[in-house]
Amino acid sequence: MENQEKMAASMLHRMVREFTENELAPLDMEIDAQGDYPQGLFQKVIDNGLLTMTLPREYGGAGFSYDSVAKAIHLMAIGNASMAVTLEGHFKTLEQLLKYGDQRLKDEYLTSAAHRIFAFSQTESSGGSNPRGIATRAVKSGDDWIITGDKIMITNGGLAQVYCVLAKTEDDQMAVFVVDQDMPGFSFGKREDFIGLRGTPVGEIVMDHIKVPGYHLLGQIGQGLEIGNNAHDDARILMGAVLTGIMEHELQIAVDYSKQRKALDTPLYELQTIQEKISEIAIARQNTELLYQHAAQLKITGQSYAQVAAMAKSYGSRSAVRCGDMALQVLAGYGYSREYPIEHLIRDARAMEIAEGTVERMSGEIALKQVNQ
Amino acid sequence: MKIVVCIKQVPKSDSVKIDPKTNNMVRDNVEGVINPFDKNAIEEALRIKDQLGGEVILLSMGPDGYMSSLRDGLAMGADRAILLSSRAFGGADTLATGYPISQAIKKIGGVDLVLLGRQSVDADTGQVGPIVAEYLNVPQVTFAEELRFVDEHTLYGQRLLDGATQSVQVTLPAVVTVRSELNTPRYETPVNIQTSFEKPIDVWTEHDLDLDATRIGQAGSPTTVQKVYAPKREGRQTVQLSDDSATAVKELLARIRN
Repeated sequence: MENQEKMAASMLHRMVREFTENELAPLDMEIDAQGDYPQGLFQKVIDNGLLTMTLPREYGGAGFSYDSVAKAIHLMAIGNASMAVTLEGHFKTLEQLLKYGDQRLKDEYLTSAAHRIFAFSQTESSGGSNPRGIATRAVKSGDDWIITGDKIMITNGGLAQVYCVLAKTEDDQMAVFVVDQDMPGFSFGKREDFIGLRGTPVGEIVMDHIKVPGYHLLGQIGQGLEIGNNAHDDARILMGAVLTGIMEHELQIAVDYSKQRKALDTPLYELQTIQEKISEIAIARQNTELLYQHAAQLKITGQSYAQVAAMAKSYGSRSAVRCGDMALQVLAGYGYSREYPIEHLIRDARAMEIAEGTVERMSGEIALKQVNQ
Repeated sequence: MKIVVCIKQVPKSDSVKIDPKTNNMVRDNVEGVINPFDKNAIEEALRIKDQLGGEVILLSMGPDGYMSSLRDGLAMGADRAILLSSRAFGGADTLATGYPISQAIKKIGGVDLVLLGRQSVDADTGQVGPIVAEYLNVPQVTFAEELRFVDEHTLYGQRLLDGATQSVQVTLPAVVTVRSELNTPRYETPVNIQTSFEKPIDVWTEHDLDLDATRIGQAGSPTTVQKVYAPKREGRQTVQLSDDSATAVKELLARIRN
């Protein structure tokens, strides 16, 4: 059985690598320049079953373990980080439905998760890392809930059809509800014009007295913050994977260039200053991979993984920005040119110093854990 | 529609090595993948199944390691697979390969269509398809770049040859070898990867088939590889003669005399 799982994971990774090399990598620069996925590309992702990777078999999914899927996300990010982040947003949301959802909700929604995108929406204009200040309200109405509020900066906002929404009840308790774009009162707001991960839609949803059935509540009233934090933890593992992919891309570009380019008849890679940069990128890439894989292992074995997931995201994002800068320096003038992808890889990596909790917040969480344990 | 797709596992990398003693390919410790043209054959079989229904059965001959390629074919969507595997089959040339494969197809029974890649990318002979067709005594279409059903018993195929195309029509059952121009093979999907482990891969030895034991394996192979080299390409030209036979004979004689 263990051998079969390994073989299946190996087949999945080869499939994702082939899909990325054929379908995503050739469009990487275009996606960044256009600030969107080309027409039909996302449909290819759906048609090839990539939304099903974590979804259990009973809901029509492939049911791969979280560490196998994280590796698949890593491989995809080598070719295009935006699409890898789109899948990260989908998978972290599915995890919350699986963990906290009512069986009726799961039967109704998870069976459509192979072709519909799911998103988790927490941030409001009042702040992202301070969910207690949110204004979205959930008011009980018989067996239903009436939800009103605006959510911004949602990964896949506008692309996703199903949203997990953090709201406050009348007695100021936090709760998460599943809201469908087809429900009356639902509309999309503006899409952000971010400088990096430009393919990934990040947008706003507006909820005007949306009537949501009672079984759309995830977990219990008062569990909202726990579910939000759990979604962050799950996302941070996959972000570590995305960042590993970005660093692998940076490394490939730096290594290839250092072999081709000569300085005074010597290939660049023979220069110690260049070797130092290449080795630093390679070490940071390897460290981030070890961190996200370790966090995923802790998760699938039922152990506490929040701390290591935060490390993967925090260390990975800071490293990927720094490594991008080093790779840029290896290529010098070409690295500074838009003809090469390094500048956009730095912009992509920079997003993850902010998304799913800023690196400052990560530092706080990691430090306090060390102090208090 | 019952379709058998014959596939071969070939080394993945370009670093193919030849054993200087036997002049055969060194296959140990090299990752194996489905021969690329065979993936086109699987894709075509799946498209026909999507259109007409039926079953797609993969058939291969080789050691246990070939299971991984059969698994890949199942993950593309084929229904089941059969591996002919025994030391007795080892060292077979194309004739001693085509013979047990054709016997296996007879054992499967009721096969309407046999698809193969036009050649393997490691040995490049392109002979197994035609040999299987001859052993089965059914019509064959080689180098197909287009296929479509005229009716449920008749297949139209367009053959892409050096400097020419040829349109042919065959009555099923038939054997077809396909070119990469025919289609783009689909990806394995995550769900199909998982379900591929639930699909059967049967292993048949020489004892499971009605075989003449002197015609299989190295002992049953009339040819041996003396040398592997890239042949020089001679400037050959295909000439189309007139449809009218009397004129065609004159044209042919004129060309022979010249």
